[in-house]
Amino acid sequence: MPIKSINGCIGCGICVETCPTDVLRLDPKTGKAIIKYPDECQICHLCRMYCPVDAITITPEKTIPVIVSWG
Amino acid sequence: MVVFIMTAIPVLFWALGDFPQRSALKETISLLTLVAFSNMLGQFFISRLSKKTLNLPAMPRVIKVHKIIGYVFVSVLLVHPFLIILPRYFEAGVEPLDAFTTLITTFESTGIILGMVAWGLMLIIGITSLFRNKLRLEYTQWRTLHSILSILFIAVASWHAIDLGRHTNLPISIFIAVFAAIGIGLLTKTYLFNQRKSRS
Repeated sequence: MPIKSINGCIGCGICVETCPTDVLRLDPKTGKAIIKYPDECQICHLCRMYCPVDAITITPEKTIPVIVSWG
Repeated sequence: MVVFIMTAIPVLFWALGDFPQRSALKETISLLTLVAFSNMLGQFFISRLSKKTLNLPAMPRVIKVHKIIGYVFVSVLLVHPFLIILPRYFEAGVEPLDAFTTLITTFESTGIILGMVAWGLMLIIGITSLFRNKLRLEYTQWRTLHSILSILFIAVASWHAIDLGRHTNLPISIFIAVFAAIGIGLLTKTYLFNQRKSRS
């Protein structure tokens, strides 16, 4: 799972808006962001970059695989 | 001793907790805030309330330490909303000012509203303490005012910290809740309850 955790979310919903693949949602009960569809994450880091309080941590060991040309 | 304990406990929980690794700046800010809040909890115990229990030194010295810790850590907690957006100056993405605007205008979040109320109470506590002599209050009146403000502050701030603190896992939440409850209980019993009892 590329998004490791969301700690200290203030529920502004910016991450939900910035995510191009709809990974995140606001929990209707708590009003805070949750990782709803982890498999859809493309590790673009937009949610992390636009979170005003740095609540999102992305797994450091997982990165987009480098494309190596053949031949 | 109290300062050491109230600094060591959150540092220990932070070190032992399974928190995601972040930059040194972010971790320093978090740890500083955590230690500052923990020491504000400790302020309830660096007072007349636990003089006998903790075998504290003479009252003038206790009050001096209480004041120093209060002014230092209130200052840290007052700038803490600005410290949160500090890493934004060094990273790509949202601008620091935009981040701060979002932070203080997200009224859907209970944690943020509680934080703002606690921040306001802390400011009042700081200003009233700083200009105590100009308030022209008798010592008992001042003590009651300071006690009520402190109880309100610690109740609201503890809820805020448990709700929004990124390092508030279960052990830290229990630590905050237990120390806040004991502090409020001691203060209520010693000053507010005993005062009424002695008057009647």
